[in-house]
Amino acid sequence: MTEIVKLKGLQKKFGNFQALRGVTFTVEAGEVVGFIGPNGAGKSTTIRTLLGIIKRDAGQAEIFGKDVWKESLEIHKRISYVPGDVALWGSLTGGEIIDLFMKLHGGGDKQKRDYLIKRFELDPKKKAKGYSKGNRQKVGLIAALSVDSDLYIFDEPTSGLDPLMEAVFQEEVEKIKEAGKSILLSSHILSEVERLADRVVIIRQGEIIETGTLDELRHLTRSTITLSTEGDVSSMEFVEGVHDFTQKDNQATFSADNQLIHDILEEAIKLGITKFEAVPPTLEDLFMRHYEG
Amino acid sequence: MKEKFARWDILFWQYLKRDWKKMIFWILGVGLFSGGFVPAFEEIAKGQGLIGMFETLQNPAMISMVGPTPVETAADYTIGAMYAHEMLLFCGLFAMIMAVLHVIGHTRKEEDLGLTELVRSFQIGRQANSLAAMAEVVVINVLLALFISGLLIVFNVDTFSVQGSLLFGASVGMAGVIGAVIGLVMAQIMPAASSATGSALGIVGLLYIIRAGTDVSNVDLSMFNPLSWTYLTYPFTENNWLPIVFVLIFSIAMVVLAFTLEGGRDMGAGYLPEREGRESAKKSLLSVRGLFIKINKGVIIGWLIGFVVMGAAYGSIYGDMQTFLESNEMMKQMFAQSGFSIEESFTGTIMMVMTGLVSILPIAVVNKLFAEESRLHLSQLHATKVTRGQLYWTTIGLAVFAGLIGILLAAGGLGGTAISVLGDSATIDMGDFFAAGYNFLPSVLFFTGLATLALGWAPKLGKIVYAYLGYSFILNYFGGILDLPDWFSKTAVQSWIPQMPMDSFDAPIFITLTGISIVLLIIGYFGYKRRDMVEGA
Ligand SMILES: Nc1ncnc2c1ncn2[C@@H]1O[C@H](COP(=O)(O)OP(=O)(O)OP(=O)(O)O)[C@@H](O)[C@H]1O
Ligand SMILES: [Mg+2]
Repeated sequence: MTEIVKLKGLQKKFGNFQALRGVTFTVEAGEVVGFIGPNGAGKSTTIRTLLGIIKRDAGQAEIFGKDVWKESLEIHKRISYVPGDVALWGSLTGGEIIDLFMKLHGGGDKQKRDYLIKRFELDPKKKAKGYSKGNRQKVGLIAALSVDSDLYIFDEPTSGLDPLMEAVFQEEVEKIKEAGKSILLSSHILSEVERLADRVVIIRQGEIIETGTLDELRHLTRSTITLSTEGDVSSMEFVEGVHDFTQKDNQATFSADNQLIHDILEEAIKLGITKFEAVPPTLEDLFMRHYEG
Repeated sequence: MKEKFARWDILFWQYLKRDWKKMIFWILGVGLFSGGFVPAFEEIAKGQGLIGMFETLQNPAMISMVGPTPVETAADYTIGAMYAHEMLLFCGLFAMIMAVLHVIGHTRKEEDLGLTELVRSFQIGRQANSLAAMAEVVVINVLLALFISGLLIVFNVDTFSVQGSLLFGASVGMAGVIGAVIGLVMAQIMPAASSATGSALGIVGLLYIIRAGTDVSNVDLSMFNPLSWTYLTYPFTENNWLPIVFVLIFSIAMVVLAFTLEGGRDMGAGYLPEREGRESAKKSLLSVRGLFIKINKGVIIGWLIGFVVMGAAYGSIYGDMQTFLESNEMMKQMFAQSGFSIEESFTGTIMMVMTGLVSILPIAVVNKLFAEESRLHLSQLHATKVTRGQLYWTTIGLAVFAGLIGILLAAGGLGGTAISVLGDSATIDMGDFFAAGYNFLPSVLFFTGLATLALGWAPKLGKIVYAYLGYSFILNYFGGILDLPDWFSKTAVQSWIPQMPMDSFDAPIFITLTGISIVLLIIGYFGYKRRDMVEGA
């Protein structure tokens, strides 16, 4: 596999504030990487550094094997970017702005543009001043998706989109994924990440605290288990790996460390299981734990 | 009614709390400018100064710049009369512009930024914000008026009567109120804060030009001009309070108009209709240059029209200057001795003043690039193959081009009108006007260079370039009237350049200043290339 994006020990300070303290991760060819973390963690800062909008203080940052600051022009020919807050020139129409972005990027596809305008139900004749937040976001998305790139960088691309449009976005991203492109997707909408991402990178306070596939990450967390037993279920509370234990009559609900699930079930079997339900951790649970960490 | 303005007083106190630093700055700035020059005028008045100044200011060219005086003979021309004559119009303008910027900044601009939406979601009336902003501006101007009056009284000059001092202060304060109401009305009509500011300042400029014409031809007509209500109070001479009454009536009418207009429109909307736009872009838009032309077009065209009109307005005075010279022996002799015609002398001065104004345009174009950056308009562009160099040099190209055209139009407007009113008696031709104008090109480039320097290294300081321009402008404008020490005059960049057609062209200075400006552009570029783009926080 080749590394499309490669970050190593990336650091960035704003005045006295250390926004990034050694960010390291990669995006491989053909891979979709979900980039998540709490507000202010440094996601946008990392992305802006990748785009050469701001200059890093230390560390290594490459796209397509080229330095993101020195060789930004070469890199930019082959990437698309959508910021979380697409700001537009009020006096231009959405259609004009899309055309402009396509032209300045190069290699746009007029048909794809028209198709996307229809899919996203955008009125391209309206002056951008009159667009709602979601519609502004659509302009940015259409412009980025209408051109052919090898790497797509999305920073909360769907903020403000309604669920229907979000679904359209996800479908379109799946298409570029199938076409073998690489994607770096930062988002707070975890279901979106869950659906699209091959791998997840979690950042907190300027540091990467976890990376891995979803399965790998799930393994590190807890499932929610509901259990009824013939014997006294309350003894389960003290088994190692059981947390947040609650009990109602003879039915207990608790979360269980996935690594210790074998031992926990063995204890339960001793009590005689009459009912058993296990819910795997949602991405949401996973991140709650990491965010709060 | 009550509902609409509900809890405006809360906002009002909030604003006073929020703005107190700005208020102090404002009141001290405008106040000291208005009241602090008294000692300088006492200097001028020494010996034959008053008489000389009286004669000089009878020149229609001078009247067009500083306004008229009711005094008819040099003997009655006191320091007080001179002070009001030379200062009041400018102090009024100054106060007016501050108020325009402030009111639009607190109303329309906040609306555009979405702050109003937040405020309105609380229990606050729909129009409370406008009322609070207006009330704040009135309070500021009342304080300003009192400060100026106090200052004038404290200087304790014989001919500065208490009544005159109070009236002088009141006139300046009232000018501020006029500016505020003009701003408030334009904030309702225009579709965005920037166009509201532009049009409101445009109106102030237009009023200034119109009064230049009516002051020279027939002062009675100036009574219809809100800007003239400031200096037509004639403090220290006639002490006429009537214009103040006009201001009050006018302001109340405008405020009512503004509130009616505001009541009738949606938040964020204006009265000028929106047309449906194009489905896809014209070819001409599809480049960095095309885009920058498009987003700067309004500002550039607006100013260019202003330059032609201004040039034409000043050009129309050339006829009156001849008449003036024929009727005034003393001035006739003065000009005969100096070896220049009155036209030549006026052309030199006025071109300096107009190229000072032309400099605003390139600064505005350069500052626009930073505004675009901080409004996040460029984020997605940065990720395309557009380079920072392209953004920077395209902007500079456009700025310089706008400056060149600006000079062309200002000089052309001035010369064309002047030559047509002078007819056969003209001693200068179009070539002289263009030479006089482009002679100042290095100063325009210098301001462009300063603005780009700020853009590259400290973009938040871009506005300070305007402050320096304003400072140079005032120095140039008054340089001829006040006898300033040479080193002091030279702090304004234009003073380095000889005034054509009176003086001859100075190639070394021209080239040096142009060279310095180009160096500034290049230094700015290195900053721009390597700094972080400012995007939110
Ligand atoms: N230009 C700047 N100047 C100063 N501080 C900044 C600047 N840009 C970002 N920061 C700070 O750096 C930190 C990281 O910001 P960043 O925008 O990268 O967060 P984020 O992970 O994208 O958050 P969010 O989920 O809210 O978008 C924040 O504390 C932010 O305040
Ligand atoms: Mg962000």
